[in-house]
Amino acid sequence: MQALSRAFGVFAAGLILLSVGVICQMVFVRAVLGQSSIWQTEFVTFSLVAATFVGAPYILLTRGHVAVDVLPLMLATAARRRMYLIGHAIALVFCAFFLYAAVPWWYDTWVSGQTTSSIWRARVWIPYLSVPVGLSLLCLQLLAEMVMVATHRTDPYGLSPEARL
Amino acid sequence: MSPLAIGLLIFAVTTLLLATGLPIAFGLGAVALLFMIVFDGWNSVHFVPETVFAGLSDFTLVSLPMFIIMGAAVASSRAGSDLYEALARWLHKVPGSLVISNIGACALFSALTGSSPATCAAIGKMGIPEMRRRGYDADLATGAIAAGGTLGILIPPSVTMILYGIASETSIGRLFLAGVIPGLLLTGLFMAWALFISWKRGTRLIDEDRIYSMKEKLELLPKLLPFIAVIVGVVYALYGGIATPSEAAGVGAALCLVMVVVIYRVWRPADLWAILRDGLRESGMLLLIIGTSILFGYMMSSLQVTQSVATAIGELQVNRWIILAAINLMLLVAGCFLPPAAIILMTTPILMPVINAAGFDPIWFGVILTINMELGLITPPVGLNLFVINGITPDVNLPTILKGAFPFMLCMVLAIVILCVFPGLATWLPQVLMG
Repeated sequence: MQALSRAFGVFAAGLILLSVGVICQMVFVRAVLGQSSIWQTEFVTFSLVAATFVGAPYILLTRGHVAVDVLPLMLATAARRRMYLIGHAIALVFCAFFLYAAVPWWYDTWVSGQTTSSIWRARVWIPYLSVPVGLSLLCLQLLAEMVMVATHRTDPYGLSPEARL
Repeated sequence: MSPLAIGLLIFAVTTLLLATGLPIAFGLGAVALLFMIVFDGWNSVHFVPETVFAGLSDFTLVSLPMFIIMGAAVASSRAGSDLYEALARWLHKVPGSLVISNIGACALFSALTGSSPATCAAIGKMGIPEMRRRGYDADLATGAIAAGGTLGILIPPSVTMILYGIASETSIGRLFLAGVIPGLLLTGLFMAWALFISWKRGTRLIDEDRIYSMKEKLELLPKLLPFIAVIVGVVYALYGGIATPSEAAGVGAALCLVMVVVIYRVWRPADLWAILRDGLRESGMLLLIIGTSILFGYMMSSLQVTQSVATAIGELQVNRWIILAAINLMLLVAGCFLPPAAIILMTTPILMPVINAAGFDPIWFGVILTINMELGLITPPVGLNLFVINGITPDVNLPTILKGAFPFMLCMVLAIVILCVFPGLATWLPQVLMG
């Protein structure tokens, strides 16, 4: 699971780097060559949304999603573990509902072959696919984190048992 | 149930949920989804993907990861300590030069990186030990850096202001310009306080033991000037109508990446991956919060909460300055617990109609809000900068850092008051340069 999240993290970082390059190319085409840009704006926008979704499990794995840990810091280890599990179960339910809605939402664009309204006419299902894929991984990663905490293999919130406010 | 009662319920549930320590992005999404299902029926689940995806597919948002990559690249290099060293060499004959160099380096570096904790770490690592070695008290040395680091979200380019610009639908270019004079004002206030207190405590302000040759003064400049040129270039491109914020930031990010490779020899794959990884973690985290806060805003608006709160506050027969003071107090309390991004994205949709109805300039309010968010970075229990400083100087405990940072917090409150009395300090520059 960790390897999968990392692999997608590398892919998402690659998308961001690619976007930096595409923006430079767009500015060059427009400012130096005096031509209009066609596909770049949409490509960059979609790439970064895709990076957000497929990178989310990696960010969860590396504790990059910010949270308010004031209350957990006030609790003893056992209570802290319970609170972690409750909070993350709610997060999991949200992600699962989001995924449940995202699959038919993506599938419709795939079947219909819907394209964007720009001249580029990008196939919408390609960027949309990042949502169900990212969310599936995110759900699995959330579940993995919860199992690790429930079985005492990692500390909840990544806080050492001695950590206090 | 009346929209106002629903609003109160949303507030209570959100507070309760975020207190469990689940990631803010998921917390906001869960609250939004819960209220959508309860009040609008089961089918509203199907609005979620489209609302979030459409909200995030905005070219303006592209500027966010770009500025973050730019900052991550600069922060990964030794540019921070070089900047500090250069200022210290140039200013060392000025009384209190050490404090001035430290706060000045914080202001410049935070403008380069847009990141408050990164600034504290980069400048503090060099600056705090040097200040203490030269006899400055630990509380002043750490407090000055903790406060100096916060300047980054006010001095352009600032990620916080981009978020406010997106949430309030105001021009990011104008917001950046509006932050310039207040940023300098706050830097000046910080320096003035630091000088005053060191003079009062009898700290030796002039370093006579060391004389820097012209060669020593000049040798660091070729490394630093290209970075400063990029920032000036990015800001110039924004106002010259040459590029949108996203384009300027994208080119700036590419240039900064190339410069850290060429100038600072950051070229090992592991170093480059670290820049990209940090960029991904911060931008992915922010974009996901933006995505779910769009859902949150959509839910609040479809349940008429946003509109009702604005109307209710509008009908209160109180002075508009009292409303502003109340808003600032509320933001300050929120800032003690939540990061600036979450506060701005959650509250701006509700605050904007109130600010407009009270006749305040939204650009000016953006500056006030940003200074308020700066305060939150150095207030306990979750003031990020305090922990960064504590991490790099483990022998100074948190209460000492806090004691040192407190007068700087008062400087920020003073800056807010000055801006209320002289709103032109924020609105003049964008007015002159952008019409």
